[in-house]
Amino acid sequence: MTFFQDEKHLYKCLGGLFEKVRRDAMIGPKLATAALVIRFLYEEPEGQITIDLKTPPGDGTFFSTFYGKNDLEADVVMSMKADVGHRFWFGKVNLVAALTRRQIVAKGPIPKILKLLPAIQPTYAMYPEILKELGEDKILLA
Amino acid sequence: MSTAMAFPDFFQFHLPVRIVFGKGLSKDFSAELSSLGVSRAFLVTEKFLHTLKIPDRIRQALESAGVGIAGVFDEVVPNSEVGLCERGAEAARKAGADCIVAIGGGSSIDTAKAINLLLSEGGKLLDYQGAQTLTRPLKPLVAVPTTSGTGSEATMVAVINDPDSQSKISLVDRYLTPALAVLDPELTLTLPRRITAATGMDALTHAVEAYVDIESSPFSDALAAQAMRLVARYLSKAVIDGGDVEVRSALQIASTMAGVAFNHSMVGVIHGMAHALGGMCHVVHGEANAMMLPLGMEYNLEVRERKFAEIARFLGLDIRGKSDRDAGLEGIAFVRQLNQELHDLAGLPTRLSDVGVSRDRLPEVAALAMTDGSMFYNPRDVAEEDVLAMLERAH
Ligand SMILES: [Fe+2]
Repeated sequence: MTFFQDEKHLYKCLGGLFEKVRRDAMIGPKLATAALVIRFLYEEPEGQITIDLKTPPGDGTFFSTFYGKNDLEADVVMSMKADVGHRFWFGKVNLVAALTRRQIVAKGPIPKILKLLPAIQPTYAMYPEILKELGEDKILLA
Repeated sequence: MSTAMAFPDFFQFHLPVRIVFGKGLSKDFSAELSSLGVSRAFLVTEKFLHTLKIPDRIRQALESAGVGIAGVFDEVVPNSEVGLCERGAEAARKAGADCIVAIGGGSSIDTAKAINLLLSEGGKLLDYQGAQTLTRPLKPLVAVPTTSGTGSEATMVAVINDPDSQSKISLVDRYLTPALAVLDPELTLTLPRRITAATGMDALTHAVEAYVDIESSPFSDALAAQAMRLVARYLSKAVIDGGDVEVRSALQIASTMAGVAFNHSMVGVIHGMAHALGGMCHVVHGEANAMMLPLGMEYNLEVRERKFAEIARFLGLDIRGKSDRDAGLEGIAFVRQLNQELHDLAGLPTRLSDVGVSRDRLPEVAALAMTDGSMFYNPRDVAEEDVLAMLERAH
C-alpha cells in the first residue's frame, strides 16, 4: 500500500514531524551540529523535503525546512519511496540494512549521516503522536 | 534469556568477485581472463613493484592470454588522492582501456576502483560519495594483491583522500567490487619482514572487528573465524621464513577471507583510530591497527564477552573451564604477545611514540577518529574521551 495520497499529504505528515523537531530544544541543537544540507527525495508520491542544518535560521528554531523543489545545494541526498520514509520515522527501518538493499540510496558523506542516528531516536516516538494530532490515525503503524 | 544464538534481523551475503588461488597463478590466468571478454587492459600499480618485476610478470600473463596492454599507471602512493585517481582515469580513457588490472597493496586496488568508476561513468569522484549510488556494472576490474592484509581485492569499498576538504572520501558500492581476484602467494614471497608483520596484523584486525561489530552475520563470522585461525598460526612463521610458500598461502587466503568478512560487517573503533593516525600522523595502516588492536578488544570486551571467548579459541587457546570474560582476556593477551613477537622478529613498532607521533597531537587524533564511519559499526558506543585514553595508553 502507499501511505500518502499525494505530495501535499506527504508534506503534511512528514512536515508535521520536521516542524516539531526544528523547534525541539533537545533534538534540534544536536542535529544542527551536523552542519549539513540534507535533501530527502521521495517517490510514490513524488516530493522532496530539504532540511538546512547549516544556516542558523535566526527565528528561535534550530534549522530550516523547505517543501518541494528548491535550489539549495545539498551535501547529502537520500532517495527512497515515500513509504520507506514513513516507516523510517517510526523507527521501523534499519538504515544500514536499507542502504545495503538499496531501499534508500544515499549520496554524500554517509558517516556524517550515521552519526545523526542517535540524536533522532526520540523522534520515533514523536511521529505517531503528531499523526494522531493531525487526524492521520489511518496511516499509523502497529 | 534464551541460550540460542541471536541471529540478526536481516543480513545479506553477496560475493560478486570471482576468487582464484594458485601458486604461480599470476603467470597464467588466461582461463579466467577469457571469460571476462576484455582486450585492452590498463595496469594500476606502484613504482616500487618494478624492482620486484611484478608488473612485468602480470603484463606477460595478460599478453600471452591475448589481452593487450593499453597503458601502465604506476604512480600509486600509500594514501591515494582524488587528483591521482582523476589523472589515472584520464590516462585510461585516452588509452582506450576496456578493463583495469590493479597490482599491489590496498592503495593500488582502491585507486584502481576509483579509476574504473571514473573511466566507466565519467564525472568527479566527489559525485559518487555515498552508498550504492551506481545503477549499472562498471568495466571489469582484476585485482592482483601483492601483500596479505588489505582484503580490498574482495570488497566494494574504496577510501580516497581528498586534500581539498582534508577528509577521506568513502565510496561504497557493490559495482566497485573487482570481477576477479587473482591470489598468488608467490607474489608475496619477497615481502620485507616488517610489511609482512604489519599487513598480517591488518588482516587480523579486519577479522576481529568483523566478528564483533553490529553488522556481523553467520556468514561473515565463519570467514572471520577461519581468517583468525590462519593468521594466529602462520603470521610469525611467515615473518621468520618469508620464502615458505605454504605459509604465505595461508596468509594470502586469510587476508582475502577477512576482506570478505568485513565487506559484509564493516570494521570498528580500531580502524577508526588507525584511519585517523594514518591521516594525521602518517602511521602505517597495519602498524596502527597492530598497536590499537588489544586496546580496542579490551574496550569492546564488556559488550561481547561470548564472542571474545570464541575469538580466543580461534586464536588457538584452550579456554575450557574458563568464564567468557577470562577467555576473552586471554585472547587479548595472545594478541599482545603476538605484537611483541613481531616486534622482536620484524621490528614492528609497539608504541605510537616509536613511529613519531607526538603526545600533544593525540586529542586531535581522537577528535578526527570520532568522525570516522567505522565508529558507527563498533559494538560499544564510542566516547571521545575513551578513544583518547586508548591512544594515550598506546603512546
Ligand atoms: Fe585495514
